[in-house]
Amino acid sequence: MTEAPVIEEKRVFMTGNEVVAWAALAAGADIMYGYPITPQNEVMHYWSRLAPRYGRNFLQTEDELSAGFATTGGVMAGSKAFTATAGSGSVLMQEPMAMAEMMRLPTVTVVQQRGGPSTATVIYSQQEVTLTTMGGNGEGIRVVYSTAGHQDLYDYTIKAFNIAWKYRFPTFVLGDGYQAKMREPLTIYDPERRGIKLLQPDPFVGGEGEPGRDRPPAQYRNTYNLEEELYEKIMSDMREFEENSADIAEYESRHTEDAELVIIAHGIVFRAVREAVDNLRRQSLSVGAFRPVTLRPLPGGQIKELAARVKKILVVESAYGQIARLVKEKVCGAACEIYSMFKPGIGIAAAEVEMRAKEILAKQ
Amino acid sequence: MPETTTRMVLAGEGGQGVQAIAEILAEAANEEGRQALYIPNFGVEQRGGVSVAFLQISDHAIGSPKFLKGDIVAALSERAVHRTATYAGPETIFIYDSAMEGVEDDLPKDAARVIPVPAMEVAKEEFHPRVYNMVIMGALVGATAVVTLDQAKAAIEKRLGYKFEKKPQLRDLNFKALERGIEMGRGAEGGIN
Repeated sequence: MTEAPVIEEKRVFMTGNEVVAWAALAAGADIMYGYPITPQNEVMHYWSRLAPRYGRNFLQTEDELSAGFATTGGVMAGSKAFTATAGSGSVLMQEPMAMAEMMRLPTVTVVQQRGGPSTATVIYSQQEVTLTTMGGNGEGIRVVYSTAGHQDLYDYTIKAFNIAWKYRFPTFVLGDGYQAKMREPLTIYDPERRGIKLLQPDPFVGGEGEPGRDRPPAQYRNTYNLEEELYEKIMSDMREFEENSADIAEYESRHTEDAELVIIAHGIVFRAVREAVDNLRRQSLSVGAFRPVTLRPLPGGQIKELAARVKKILVVESAYGQIARLVKEKVCGAACEIYSMFKPGIGIAAAEVEMRAKEILAKQ
Repeated sequence: MPETTTRMVLAGEGGQGVQAIAEILAEAANEEGRQALYIPNFGVEQRGGVSVAFLQISDHAIGSPKFLKGDIVAALSERAVHRTATYAGPETIFIYDSAMEGVEDDLPKDAARVIPVPAMEVAKEEFHPRVYNMVIMGALVGATAVVTLDQAKAAIEKRLGYKFEKKPQLRDLNFKALERGIEMGRGAEGGIN
């Protein structure tokens, strides 16, 4: 058994990568497997500094394929295992995470988005939305939280472990290079002292007794011989995913009740939108903001309801239409007008959103 | 319209200590219980020699880490003057080191105030070139009152305390340079455009 870290509830001021390492510690993570890539490197650095103090482990693998598969192996052995990556590393990570989807393994992956495609920039983007939500060769049987700053990174990294182990869906915390590198205050805490029960991991294989006699055999397959067999398996997983979607989905909304225009954004971009909407409200303009916190499953009901009610929707993102595509699928059939502000691979300031919103409001 | 967020852009050559200044100011604001967000070198500034720090201090939750115009923009080298001109708007106080020559034409034309500060000269003549960033930090604190002197000192102590333990005269040197900078920042008249 590992020694529990004493995390006093206190306000701290640190980078987002450091926050992730503390959150994983607080969540009771046993081991991180990782391979370096900017801008997530310091998740590994801080974790490998903290881990030995509390009897936790770290293994640097030879690449992200290996880091991902080692994470699935750790989980099968009964460890709370996690990994972190970004950019091209996320691309490689899809192969093991698709296997985790198939075998229903509760892996946790933190993604700090950088510019794409390919090597692009080491800085920032929101271009890993499609990859993180639907990256495998399957149906996207996974949970994705998009964080908007350091408190979110702490809260949702802790939550990701519980959600992963509760539902056995691979779970992702989707941050970005800004959140990784910036410093801002947050409150760290021991989740159990706040009444958050941390789920304990059970080994998937190597249990006591003889399989088939003392216990059911453990059989986790990623290979199927018959079409019908696979069909049954996928349909059963999808039913389970859809039945639980409403419980898993999270969102935040601001001034949407009486808004003519609602601006939809996720992650750090929502902070620019929130600031812009507050400024526009002070100018008596009828604007609201909506943020999907989970990008998979998306809070579809709320988006549908919004689209049925408001005249105009503006989707803002640091990508060329990745969250917009997901939103449009939910909005499909509604009469509202949909506008966009796509800035792939570059940060978005509140003042820019404010200008775009005014332009749209002026259109008749 | 309430505007309680101070947005700062600090730029200089590697080694001038702009990141340390931004981090110390951010820590000082955080210690005061205010909101602070500091991010080094985003955008095109990630590579290419000029080190840029973006800092926001507020009484409210801070929005995006990126902003278009700073309330304070400080440029400590010629290249930094070029690089930061885009962040200066009609409400910006632009601070630069008066030791730089030949930058007059590149200084922002529409900034609210453009303030030359003889920080390099003062650091060299009155203290030691190594406390240059303390003089600059003082000038920023003097011009903006964005954190108190005590908090600034406490944040410096937190960061450099281990060095002060070994050489207590360094504490005195750093704090005096800071105070001298504050004096300069407060007194700076600057050209009003």
